[in-house]
Amino acid sequence: RYLWRFGLSWACAPTDCNSQGTSADRSLYMGSVLAAASPSPAPAAAGGSQGVQGLASFPPGFTMPPLSSVPPTSGSGQQMADADPPLPNPGTYEECHRKCKEVYPLQMEGVRLVVNKGLSNHFQVSHTVTLSTLGDSGYRFGSTYVGTKQTGPAESFPVMVGDMDNTGSLNTQIIHQLASAVRTKIAIQTQQHKFVNWQCDMEWRGEDFTSAVTLGNPDVLVGSGILVGHYLQSITPALALGGELVYHRRPGEEGAVTSLLGRYTGDNYVATLTLGGAGAHATYYHRANDQLQIGVEFEASTKMQDTTTSLGYQLDVPKANLLFKGTVDSNWVVGATLEKKLLPLPLTLALGAFLNHRKNKFQCGFGVTIG
Amino acid sequence: MGSVLALSSSPGRQNWPFSTDPPPSHWDRRDGRLPNPGSFHSLHRSCKDVFPQQIEGVKMILNKTLSSFFKVSHTLHLSAVSPSYYRFHVEHLQSDDYSKDKDAPALIGEMDSSGSLNAHALLHLTERVRARTVFQTQQSQFVTWQFETEYRGNDFTAAVTVANPDIIRESVILVAHFLQSVSSGLVVGGELVYHRGRAEEGGILTLAGQYSRPNWVATLNAGKGGAHASYYHRANKQIQVGVEFEASTRTQETTTSFGYQMELPEANMVFRGMINSRCIIGGVLEKRLTPLPATLIMGAFVNHRGDKLQVGLGINVG
Repeated sequence: RYLWRFGLSWACAPTDCNSQGTSADRSLYMGSVLAAASPSPAPAAAGGSQGVQGLASFPPGFTMPPLSSVPPTSGSGQQMADADPPLPNPGTYEECHRKCKEVYPLQMEGVRLVVNKGLSNHFQVSHTVTLSTLGDSGYRFGSTYVGTKQTGPAESFPVMVGDMDNTGSLNTQIIHQLASAVRTKIAIQTQQHKFVNWQCDMEWRGEDFTSAVTLGNPDVLVGSGILVGHYLQSITPALALGGELVYHRRPGEEGAVTSLLGRYTGDNYVATLTLGGAGAHATYYHRANDQLQIGVEFEASTKMQDTTTSLGYQLDVPKANLLFKGTVDSNWVVGATLEKKLLPLPLTLALGAFLNHRKNKFQCGFGVTIG
Repeated sequence: MGSVLALSSSPGRQNWPFSTDPPPSHWDRRDGRLPNPGSFHSLHRSCKDVFPQQIEGVKMILNKTLSSFFKVSHTLHLSAVSPSYYRFHVEHLQSDDYSKDKDAPALIGEMDSSGSLNAHALLHLTERVRARTVFQTQQSQFVTWQFETEYRGNDFTAAVTVANPDIIRESVILVAHFLQSVSSGLVVGGELVYHRGRAEEGGILTLAGQYSRPNWVATLNAGKGGAHASYYHRANKQIQVGVEFEASTRTQETTTSFGYQMELPEANMVFRGMINSRCIIGGVLEKRLTPLPATLIMGAFVNHRGDKLQVGLGINVG
């Protein structure tokens, strides 16, 4: 049973911030648009290259907004001086593998047209038309509202994101900061009229630790639900250790899975390891220079009894307005995506192709994003 | 009949063997005499060139000119619906003052990674007589083998084609074409197809007429096998429009298509779109990426009736 963990990475409204954001922001933004456009096929289509962490899987681009302006993966000791600096907050549990996962390209197929419109500093709307070769073409309308309670230079709360399909499937999240250290999120997903996911989550950020509790799909009538607890603690400025406990209950059965997580951040690299009852997941992210980022991922699952290793890289050429992502997999899957901004116009063209040599299957697609 | 004579994979108007003068030169009067009408296959060509070609999967074409006589191209096609292939294409021209406006005597060969061969030989035997030979195989089996002879008179063209002559099975297809310029804009002609198999034989006569003006060309083929009418209009330097109507008595159906081509030379871009009475809509965009000698092609075809989409990307280098 899937547990969807959504978070929202707040991307600046077009009127708010410099359009030349960092490539990470832009890819997050693109990621959030793409993920908003098709959250349900994304984990299914991603196959081996986007992993399953314990029972949780998440579409890339959706993360909780960082609380402090120091991103959790920057060399945490760098800004602090001398002996006995205070340990930084380690960020959230889901974000630990995020940096490596963002380097990988998304599978694209069919034709996609996305029109983003920022109606004001607080409100943004997007229309997506998808023509797909594998079925289910459709139109999707998405909207994002950011509230007025400003807690940092780039964050405001509450954040409400919703999108609706032409078949009536709804996807929505509300994130709000209740107190200076407590954040809560509610996410609901429906497939036409049926509710597929509904979850509520609360996160507490202390000075050098983060803990979160999530209640997923609680169903009082049937007596089922999933309860997830996360804890992540900074041990040294570079090392963070944590754990996850997933307890699921259905009428007639109940069970729990635990995992331990360790993350080490260096000057230009991040290494993360998750070990648990559901398998192992190790990622390594390396920033070679301003243009090249590389990620290596290893996943072993006890449920599926198989392992996958993948290598991904991202080449960012801001002078040519080009972003290229490539991946090679141990399942003999090779894929790449190219995104180019066609500059005088506010247009971005994305081309992508994936080839599975073992099954001899090929998929290609392209998309245009306006605004 | 035209399909028997076409190259199987040619995206390529440049591969069309007997590419004749494009319509503008029909309208040139040379010393007051009527111009040669060109060949029968190219009657509907100006309209057909406006329509986009269906493109599927990813195709990479690498063209290399080894000398003024010799050209080579490598094609790699990755496709989701049909098997992927690598194709090698080679052209040897007989004379190196080749220009796209004239027919070029040439030897053209194409070989597939599955072993399918496509070979054309075009020869100018004398100034007026041309010969063409086509062989096509599907892996090891011969699919087409045909021989054509064409005579270009002052104001007429006559051609005879022998297609798939098979002595063992006693079958053959004979095609005779005749086109005559009647006035400076009007060309009239006909085609007689005689096919013979072991058990049956038959003939089909089709009459053809084409009327050209400086901005438009209208063509009609009508016969017992069906009718094919096309209208080509050049609105201005950038926009060309084509309308085509086809009716076949054999399959008992008719199709009407509307296509347009928009050229933006300042943006190095050509866009072709089409819409069909079979509820098929398609568009193909070609853009030259100017500092590099490369052309990017993106296309999509949607069949609304069957709800099917075909998407293709291509890059031509060189």
